[in-house]
Amino acid sequence: MPPKACSPACANASPARPDAMDFLVTTLLNALTLISILMLVGLGLAISFGLMNVTNLAHGEFVTVGAFAVYFVQSMGGSFWLGLAAAPIAGAVVGCILEFAIIRHLYSRPVSTVLATWGVSLILQQGLELTFGLGAKPVTPPIEGTLDLLFTVYPAYRLILIGIAMLTLLGVILLISRTSFGLDIRTVIQNREMAEGVGINTRRTYAIAFTFGAAIAGLAGGLVAPLAIVLPQMGVNYLANAFFVVIVGGVGSIGGLVAGSVFVGGLTSILNYQISPSLAQAIVLLAAIVAVRLRPNGLFNGASR
Amino acid sequence: MIARDRNWLLIFAVCVALAIVYPLFADGYQLTVIRDALIFGLFAASLDFFWGRTGILCFGHAAFFGIGGYIMALVTLNDAIPFASLLGIMGAVAGAAFVAAIIGYFLFFGGIRGSYFTIVTLAMGVICQQAAVSWSSVTGGDSGLIGIPPIEFDLGGLHVDLSQDLPSYIFVSAIVAVAVLALWSISRGRWGTVLTAIQDNEVRAAALGHNAPLRLLVTFVLSAAIAGLAGALYVCMAGLVAPDLSGLLLSTEVIVWVAVGGRGTLLGPVLGAIFIQRAQQTISSFNPSLWPLLLGCVFVIIVFVLPDGILSIYARLKSLFKGRRRAQ
Amino acid sequence: MSDILLQAENVGIRFGGLQALEALNLTVRDKELCCIIGPNGAGKSTFLNVLTGTLRPTSGSVRFLGHDIAGLPLHRIARLGIARKFQIPSVFPSLSVEDNLKVARWGAPSPVRPVGELLELVALTNRAATLAGELAHGQKQWLEIGMALAIEPRLLLLDEPTAGMTPQETLATAEMLLRLKGEFSIVAVEHDIRFVRALNCETLVLHQGRRLRSGPFHDIETDEMVRDVYLGRR
Repeated sequence: MPPKACSPACANASPARPDAMDFLVTTLLNALTLISILMLVGLGLAISFGLMNVTNLAHGEFVTVGAFAVYFVQSMGGSFWLGLAAAPIAGAVVGCILEFAIIRHLYSRPVSTVLATWGVSLILQQGLELTFGLGAKPVTPPIEGTLDLLFTVYPAYRLILIGIAMLTLLGVILLISRTSFGLDIRTVIQNREMAEGVGINTRRTYAIAFTFGAAIAGLAGGLVAPLAIVLPQMGVNYLANAFFVVIVGGVGSIGGLVAGSVFVGGLTSILNYQISPSLAQAIVLLAAIVAVRLRPNGLFNGASR
Repeated sequence: MIARDRNWLLIFAVCVALAIVYPLFADGYQLTVIRDALIFGLFAASLDFFWGRTGILCFGHAAFFGIGGYIMALVTLNDAIPFASLLGIMGAVAGAAFVAAIIGYFLFFGGIRGSYFTIVTLAMGVICQQAAVSWSSVTGGDSGLIGIPPIEFDLGGLHVDLSQDLPSYIFVSAIVAVAVLALWSISRGRWGTVLTAIQDNEVRAAALGHNAPLRLLVTFVLSAAIAGLAGALYVCMAGLVAPDLSGLLLSTEVIVWVAVGGRGTLLGPVLGAIFIQRAQQTISSFNPSLWPLLLGCVFVIIVFVLPDGILSIYARLKSLFKGRRRAQ
Repeated sequence: MSDILLQAENVGIRFGGLQALEALNLTVRDKELCCIIGPNGAGKSTFLNVLTGTLRPTSGSVRFLGHDIAGLPLHRIARLGIARKFQIPSVFPSLSVEDNLKVARWGAPSPVRPVGELLELVALTNRAATLAGELAHGQKQWLEIGMALAIEPRLLLLDEPTAGMTPQETLATAEMLLRLKGEFSIVAVEHDIRFVRALNCETLVLHQGRRLRSGPFHDIETDEMVRDVYLGRR
């Protein structure tokens, strides 16, 4: 297993101009790249882990599947954008099958869910390796080159990534707050029995919410593919970090998700300049544990778990 | 209750007897194979001691195995340290226990249980493996450290030298037997009963005056210490240490050994470790990437078909048979 | 006054905008038996949570033997000598009745009663080896009382000890408590009037988070206002 290769830490771009302002802006943008990805991956996890109380250890594989979708489309001669459109669909398909075949049968057995989803995660990893072969898969970004910002020169694709991630998050907020499906989700989260009482099909709502989370994680995988090293085992780092996001941020609100992502992503990006990525990861883990000890319900809200 | 204890001791005695007569029939290579499998069996028992009694799953137990292994390797490879084997084992046990104590303190006293605990320990395992790879000046990076000498020490006039197959087999078997027996007597006595109570209803146990977080912490630390011991033994027998030993795949495999062998039985996981490793060697000889794939399938099968492990087949058949008889 | 065990003074609790409890006083003397009654939603369970230190009052204070116990970890409170029986029977279902009592004894700083005596007290001697999860509802409630006794409490707090019991079981429970009266203080929260009548002790009546009446039960029972509240006339 090549663990360091697929760390989200590799989403860092090296600074081009060595003055202080440049350093600051570059660090900020690097952090923002990582935070964007974490928010997208964490969103699905916040739905399944935080709200449905399902510990899905195959969540990282949605990211992997999304990245492989982009690679596959590109290798067949398609454009990056076509691949990026395929990524959430691939994530959704895998998520939907997983929910239907495994997770819905195990809602009342948390440890079994952990074991079964981990099994699925291994099957998906090895399945991808057997299908696509060993070694990292190349994915080229749609735009090479850089953009000259006021204080620094920054790779253009990363700015696009940040933009798409922000737009997606905005879309999710609108979906949850404005549509009737969003209302269903909020009702189910507030009180499952009552939701059933007023005629909401909670099973269906869970399934759709889960699939939706998988699709967003797939999109994140597609977005990060040109920056990361695309491997069947790349998912586990996103899994661990996304769980930190949810644990630190607390569940139940978009605000918590953002706070958790900023905490984990920001800390990782800053530490990555000072020390080795694995030590940075260890410190982030420790910080997350300490944060949980001090604020058991998350940094951002008082919702009980 | 009493009958169950008697059955356990009976099976334990049979296993010990088999381990004693095995060298009469096996050659040196076969002895080393079983010896190494027994070390992993000890590792599995250490996880079962925690998971089986508390119901909380640690998903990064290989981290403690790896920490023990690396400490043992670093101590015995350093010529300046006297009594390297004994000090190395002590350091391995203490190191693993120390890491478990820090992580466990924050989690248990922070009210973290269940899935949250599983995930944090999963992350811990990932990070340990990364650290082993990237801290190459100390750990030797991807290739690890080689040339670790076999265990050798003097204790009260007794000279122990484990460079030969048979002595090392006997030494390991004895340690595993003693450790499993000790863990079993702890977990069936007062300590284990209170842990079961905490697993059933932690608030109630606390309202009766039990310090649940402390008890969970001590159990976790003890479990990690045994895992560290297993890691230390393993690297001396294998002669090398590598990042895989603290990796996620090993953490995963040890869960399978426990789940297949039967959670909460302590002896089942040891047997599970031995048999599954034999199966792994056979399967991996066809295609190395087939094994993780199969492992994944085993997880899913356990959950849906055999939630209580292989040993439960016997109980199920028995109840099926009884049911049939009653029906007739 | 050295025989005061538990003293709640001017206790009030606000949940957001809701005043759940207001200006409640309660003094429990050593070896005294008293009841807290009131209709559903009167704040009985909330008040009990304050008395056991699990809820911190927003105003006023609760002192047990002179210590402020609010916010202490549960096991520390138990070791001070406060035992609690929960409203929902919470025994350890995967342990036997005997092991349940053993676990309770082990939690105490200095247990006195042997397990056999506890089994007799709660009438479960012939179920000692049964898994607690398989007991009937009433027996679970008794087992829980037995577990509370095992820690040798100075004060036993019972949250609706007869909830879900048959009338016979309710009376048997009252007799059980009367037998224990004089060994330690008992505070029982109930809304079953028959049970409180059987105990016939000092009684505090709560209504909408406030004290409605307090005094010996036979005075309370004849009180016009209390009858109105219980019959839902106001």
